[in-house]
Amino acid sequence: MTLAIKNLGKRYGDSAVFSHVSLDVAAGEFVAIVGESGVGKSTLLNCMAGLDSWDEGTVMLNGIDLGTLPDDARALLRRREVGFVFQAFHVLPHLDVAQNVALPLLLLGAPDDVRVQAMLNAVGLDGMGARLPQQLSGGQLQRVAIARALVHRPGLLLADEPTGNLDPTTAAKVMDALIAQTREHRASLVLVTHSEAAAARADRVLHLRSDGISA
Amino acid sequence: MASVHKPAALRTVTRATVALLRQFSWQELLHHPWRNLAAAAAVMLGVALAFSVHLINASALSEFSQAVRSVNGQPDLELRAVQGSFNESIYARVANHPQVALASPVLELSSFAVAASGKRIALRVLGLDALVVAQLAPALMPVPDANAGRFALFTPGTVFLNPAARLALPAPSFKLQSGLELLDVKVAGSAGAGGAPLAVMDIGAAQDLFSKRGQLSRIDLRLKPGTDRAAFLTALKLPAGITATEPGDDAQRVSNLSRAYRVNLTVLALVALFTGAFLVFSVLSLSVAKRAQQFALLGVLGLTGRERLLLVLAESSVLGLAGSAAGIALGTGLAALALRLLGGDLGGGYFSGVAPSLQWSGPAAVVYAGLGTAASLAGGWWPARAAQKLPPAQTLKGLGPAPVGGNGHWLSAGLVAAGALLALTPPVFGIPLAAYISVALLLIGGITALPWLIALLYNRLSPWVAQRLLPMLAVERARRVRESAAVAVSGVVASLSLAVALTVMVASFRDSVTHWLDVVLPADLYLRTAAPSASSSTASETVFFPPGFVQAMAGITGISRISALRTTSILLDAAQPAVALVAREIGDPAHSLPLVGSALPVPAGQTAIYVSEAMVDLYDARPGTVFKPLSRSFSQAFDAASREPRAQSAINSIATPEAGQAPQFFVAGVWRDYARQFGAIAMDQRDFQRLTGDLRVNDLGLWLDPQASSIDVEQAVRREADRQSGAGALIEFASTREIRSISLRIFDRSFAVTYWLQGVAIGIGLFGVAASFSAQVLARRKEFGLLAHLGLTRRQILLVVAGEGAAWTLIGSIAGLALGLAVSIVLVHVVNPQSFHWTMDLIVPWLRLLGLCAAVIGAGTVTAWLAGRAAAGKDAVLAVREDW
Repeated sequence: MTLAIKNLGKRYGDSAVFSHVSLDVAAGEFVAIVGESGVGKSTLLNCMAGLDSWDEGTVMLNGIDLGTLPDDARALLRRREVGFVFQAFHVLPHLDVAQNVALPLLLLGAPDDVRVQAMLNAVGLDGMGARLPQQLSGGQLQRVAIARALVHRPGLLLADEPTGNLDPTTAAKVMDALIAQTREHRASLVLVTHSEAAAARADRVLHLRSDGISA
Repeated sequence: MASVHKPAALRTVTRATVALLRQFSWQELLHHPWRNLAAAAAVMLGVALAFSVHLINASALSEFSQAVRSVNGQPDLELRAVQGSFNESIYARVANHPQVALASPVLELSSFAVAASGKRIALRVLGLDALVVAQLAPALMPVPDANAGRFALFTPGTVFLNPAARLALPAPSFKLQSGLELLDVKVAGSAGAGGAPLAVMDIGAAQDLFSKRGQLSRIDLRLKPGTDRAAFLTALKLPAGITATEPGDDAQRVSNLSRAYRVNLTVLALVALFTGAFLVFSVLSLSVAKRAQQFALLGVLGLTGRERLLLVLAESSVLGLAGSAAGIALGTGLAALALRLLGGDLGGGYFSGVAPSLQWSGPAAVVYAGLGTAASLAGGWWPARAAQKLPPAQTLKGLGPAPVGGNGHWLSAGLVAAGALLALTPPVFGIPLAAYISVALLLIGGITALPWLIALLYNRLSPWVAQRLLPMLAVERARRVRESAAVAVSGVVASLSLAVALTVMVASFRDSVTHWLDVVLPADLYLRTAAPSASSSTASETVFFPPGFVQAMAGITGISRISALRTTSILLDAAQPAVALVAREIGDPAHSLPLVGSALPVPAGQTAIYVSEAMVDLYDARPGTVFKPLSRSFSQAFDAASREPRAQSAINSIATPEAGQAPQFFVAGVWRDYARQFGAIAMDQRDFQRLTGDLRVNDLGLWLDPQASSIDVEQAVRREADRQSGAGALIEFASTREIRSISLRIFDRSFAVTYWLQGVAIGIGLFGVAASFSAQVLARRKEFGLLAHLGLTRRQILLVVAGEGAAWTLIGSIAGLALGLAVSIVLVHVVNPQSFHWTMDLIVPWLRLLGLCAAVIGAGTVTAWLAGRAAAGKDAVLAVREDW
């Protein structure tokens, strides 16, 4: 999966969040984006997924201009090609761990319990499929989120501060799992982070500013 | 130390609660004024309805008692006829008794006054002795007009009218009906007695006018000080046909006989308050869910769980107090308006003719306002407990409390079982108190069993939808958060069960009344001379068809068969209202009477009677037994000495019963009577005439020849009445179809309020669903945001929410239908028979009920979808980034 962003600009009213952002992510590449708080890192991530609108520039996923797609088509594209991991885990509290992980497969109409189980094993949650989110620790919840993000083998994984809520040891383990799984699935990974340790493991680190992005 | 610190701690808690109420809660109120106003308005409506029903009934009862007191005066004892009137020969013996200070003879009649315009007005006529009445009942003292003669008080054919009669009959003269005759009377003055239209005249003049020479209805007595009443009555040796009653029995009797009806109305009004409590519950649940993170933050800052509970309870009491205060004001206005427009009668017919003024009661207002506030607090209790139990850390993370199991269903099963047992309990003071508690327990037990029911159903459904995303999401959420699901649909369950119960009860009652009308109205055409309101009680003695007229009917062309009906009343127990004695051609009772069960063979030498269901309840008149109270009263009431002079002439040709031998009445069957709540006895007309010699008739049923025209027959009947007494215009005709349609129209009008209540209840239930869904959808914005990230379209998210709405209201409808059917069984088989002493067949209008359930599921689904629209908008995507 390739991602190509050209001259992207985003404003809220008269106030510009960022502008002149251009970047390319090659298939299988791991890119980390760092920057000050409020510079628009998460907004940029949402633009990459077609979840947020932008005021100028283009976002191309595998050569498809997201700006030209209606909402539903963006959703369908996201369903197939994108995986998300958030700082606050975001698992559905009324589904058990296995059901949470299986969600993308169900969305694609391809339920596969074996793959779900394999994914759980891969992130170190063997035997925890029947547990409810309330019964898990933060680190375990983030592993659930990683398993869910990769279970349908997306080409692009977008991770927004995935270790922001975790202690350094757990954060390191979660990053291990995230990178290992991304590599194994040959997915591209865009990581937004404040963590220098996490960014250090990326192929490239980019700094986002209000007037552009640079290495 | 503890005792020193405790009040200080309490003061701190109170101060904190008040401060938070002013800051934290007030802001919430300002943000959602309409939602909070709706909750307060629901409480207001419940309090207003209940309070106005109380005020109207209390005012009517007070006015009625006052009218009874002014008409009956203040005697120590009343000697009354068991049936109709008694021979006045006893008067001299009573008046001369050494322990009697004063004796006032009274002849009381109900008739119709015919005004110059031809309008007929029901009028009570009291014949009395003007020389003694002033000392016992000053309000009845005739006061001659200035232009009346000196002896107007004693002049034949002269009456004195009370204010209500004067208003209805302003002319100086009018006609009074007696049988089919019209008698001329002059108005010579007035009487001060209040209440319904009343005419007072000299007792001798009244006896002459109505051909009741030598007859009295009662003697009012004032006893000498220190008289032992029981010993006095024993010494008096009252003859057959006369019974002694305490003054005030009339008012007490009306209070007793209307009690069940009044309690039913109050319970119906309290249903509105019950639904109001649900609205408070829904609004506060929504409010607490929306502010969950704020409550959690306050918890982190040091607000204890108990303080959070108190804060939400304080919010609910503010809503309750505001609603109750407005409800008391509205209830007062409604009562004043209803008293002005309807008089004191709310449809039961107990207080018709009474025009009371509003009797406002401070203590009652406090009680009803207290009920409103209590209902609001009850509605606020669960949201308050939810606020108390919030885990601050979990809630701040957006995860909410962990699901809890438990065995609450045993408590629910216990409540339902207790409800079922209470339904088997007899009434208390004529009120189905245990049955009302049974209904409440069934509802509470059923509603608290909802989580268990949801788990039972959706745990089985879950594997079937595991591989289909949208149903899987809806079902999993419903079963995992079944406590929330139960809360959301409890309003629907409560309102739907009440709607189902009322629908089944009204359908059952209507169907039974329709069948009853089919049996009791077999003829083509009916005629009578008095409206039903006056034909009950004593009017049937004054307004009737004489035997000659009935015989003449047989000669009219077009009439193939005649059925005569004589109705008279008989007092079997001084503490109960008089019982109707209906004499008619019975033939095969299975066809001529709406029997409950089958008719029994009558033993030789006994007379068959068929009693209404009320007779079984009130007088223990069991089928297959001899009914002794009637034998006793019958021999007293129809003793030869008290026979009507008018009937006497007709008796001569009829075989009279063996002298001195009391007739034996065998209860040969029980029949349904929806017309007379306090008992009726039917016997064959020939038996009645043989035993009493009374040949008078109050109603006539005519079967017409196939080719006969009912209009021609009506004209011929009127001509015959004109020929006999010039009273053809006094005869009223009604076809069976007309009577049926009028009866059912009155029935539908009486129950219109239940349809309105059903609508309000369902509306409130759906409002509850909307409020709960809004609350949950708002709390789940992050979840929707996540689903959007995963690739669900907005339409799919809305489908999930709508699917949840359908899943939840489906379970609510199943529970509401089942509970409603259980409650309807209690209403039909327990509350109605215990309140009104009649039974009905249970009819379940399945199509209408399923339609109602489908409408509720549809409305619930749409409501959920609408609630989801707001939360599943574009900004929901961003909710995943919200930092709580």
